[in-house]
Amino acid sequence: MTLSTITIFSVGRSAQRVLSHSLRAASVVPGSQATHRRSLWKDVSPPEPSMKWSDITDRAARTAFWGEMFTGLAMVFGHLLKEPATINYPFEKGPLSPRFRGEHALRRYPSGEERCIACKLCEAICPAQAITIEAEPRADGSRRTTRYDIDMTKCIYCGFCQEACPVDAIVEGPNFEFSTETREELLYNKEKLLTNGDKWEPEIAANLQAEKKFLFFFSKKFSSIF
Amino acid sequence: MLMTMFYLIVLFMVNLLLFMLGLVIYKRSYKDREKNSPFECGFDPSICTRSPFSMRFFLLAVIFLIFDVEIIMLMPLTMNIMNSNTHWPLTSSMIFLIILLMGLFHEWNQGSLNWMK
Amino acid sequence: MIIELLSGIISFICALVAVAFFTLLERKGLGYFQIRKGPNKVGLMGLPQPMADAVKLFSKELIKPTLINIFPFLICPFMSLFLSLLLWLLYNNYFVCSMGGLSLLLFLCISSLSVYSVMGAGWFSNSKYALLGSVRAVAQSISYEVSMSLILMSCLILSGSINLSVIMNYQLFIWIVFVNFFMLIMWFVSCVAETHRAPFDFAEGESELVSGFNIEYGGIGFAVLFMAEYSSILFMSVLVVSLFFGGLLYISFYGMLFYLMIGFVSFLFIWVRASYPRYRYDLLMYLIWKSYLPSVLSILMFLVMLVYFLNI
Repeated sequence: MTLSTITIFSVGRSAQRVLSHSLRAASVVPGSQATHRRSLWKDVSPPEPSMKWSDITDRAARTAFWGEMFTGLAMVFGHLLKEPATINYPFEKGPLSPRFRGEHALRRYPSGEERCIACKLCEAICPAQAITIEAEPRADGSRRTTRYDIDMTKCIYCGFCQEACPVDAIVEGPNFEFSTETREELLYNKEKLLTNGDKWEPEIAANLQAEKKFLFFFSKKFSSIF
Repeated sequence: MLMTMFYLIVLFMVNLLLFMLGLVIYKRSYKDREKNSPFECGFDPSICTRSPFSMRFFLLAVIFLIFDVEIIMLMPLTMNIMNSNTHWPLTSSMIFLIILLMGLFHEWNQGSLNWMK
Repeated sequence: MIIELLSGIISFICALVAVAFFTLLERKGLGYFQIRKGPNKVGLMGLPQPMADAVKLFSKELIKPTLINIFPFLICPFMSLFLSLLLWLLYNNYFVCSMGGLSLLLFLCISSLSVYSVMGAGWFSNSKYALLGSVRAVAQSISYEVSMSLILMSCLILSGSINLSVIMNYQLFIWIVFVNFFMLIMWFVSCVAETHRAPFDFAEGESELVSGFNIEYGGIGFAVLFMAEYSSILFMSVLVVSLFFGGLLYISFYGMLFYLMIGFVSFLFIWVRASYPRYRYDLLMYLIWKSYLPSVLSILMFLVMLVYFLNI
């Protein structure tokens, strides 16, 4: 067996090399200083069973008394005693990352003024082209949106809009339970998004704070990259 | 015997009741040509569904037939072996079992038990 | 006689209820084996789940494909249920008057007959998958029937009777399993194969045959096939306990132990399902024809001599 493999794997080599390579291959260690890739073979076929009478009897007894079978049963029974990994979803929820990208929301300043300045960066970056923005200057001269629609059926929740936004206006909040019965309800307009923002503001603010800390740490650690 | 007949009748009634129940309360829905075609991975069913199958199954059935008949012949042995004073049940059953075993080994040797090739 | 008839009817009904709760046990057990919870929403901890399942299955659409032979197609599941409930006639119990006389011969007859319902269910569906599944199931069943009958015969030889209650009473002082341990193992494997359970569930190998012989059935037909299968599993576990761990049911300690052991053996069917991957079909056939049958015949010869010379 070993001889034949040696012959196969060392065609065209000198006898000296064959011997050394096969010796190395017998005690093969990944990343050893083998010069030739082809000598890095490893015999993965099951070893030949020992034909001593004691071993044969042992094997026969193990088969006849279902040794491996009972081992398997016992192992599975161990799983029965483990705590189930299930959580009762509507009543218990799993942990969410602060960077979780869920339902969109438009945020306001603490004064109540909406943050969005209609720069349309999110509309430009949106890979699914789910965002539609129309803007006009307001009476006080500030530039604000008149229309801010997100087609949630198109959205792929990539979070680029949040990344692109210079004033942290459009964010993806922690809410993931916004399924609806009709498709029309998923075409969000500005009022809906602002309402979402008002509703989820505490969570969103906390998440942004956590993310800011992370980003600070990240930029310190990898300052050489930036 | 009468008892068994009664049991059979009761059991039959239970089954009939279930059958009627199933036929009465199942959900009706539209009939559709595609829906009522046999399940075959979305394709149109091939024409001949009751095509001949592997010879192995037939061979197996024949071997089974032999062994089943032998089991029936062995059945009275179970009561005779204990309750008899002669050695005849023992001798005959041993001869019978040895013939059975030899027959099995012969079939094995001839390759009729091989599932593949 | 009225009382006997009533006890029979009650045992059928109890068998059906047991089947219902056995399905719940299976779902729960498989759930906990896979570190999840199984059904726990319906009622208290999911206990009425089988009732909800039954209502759902019975009221689902009974689809009648165009190519089927409608009458035998509808009859086959009920034949299957009829046969597997008929087995409960042999149920040996303190409360139920079992069929005496040649009860195990009746068991052999009925379990051979139940092959026909599987074959019919596959054949009359007139669909490729159903036919293949039923052919496989029939080949598997008849092969394992040979070894099952021979193993059964070993217990019959030891106790010298063909009556189940006599066999149980015979084991008052010592269980047959102590003489016949390897036969118990082979009997259990044959039972698993005979009832088409995992790891021998080739009749419904869902990765290749989608659902096997019951693929065209919906609604009541499927429910009844399902009930028949589980009823036969439960009866097989009763038989394992009665044949190998028998005793006098009038002794109250043994009376309790009897039911506990039946519960354990039927749980073992679930446990085995959770533990092992599916076997290979040709290996299954080799297992019975080349491994079990020769060894069973040899052990049978040994037992005949044992019984004759030791006169036990």
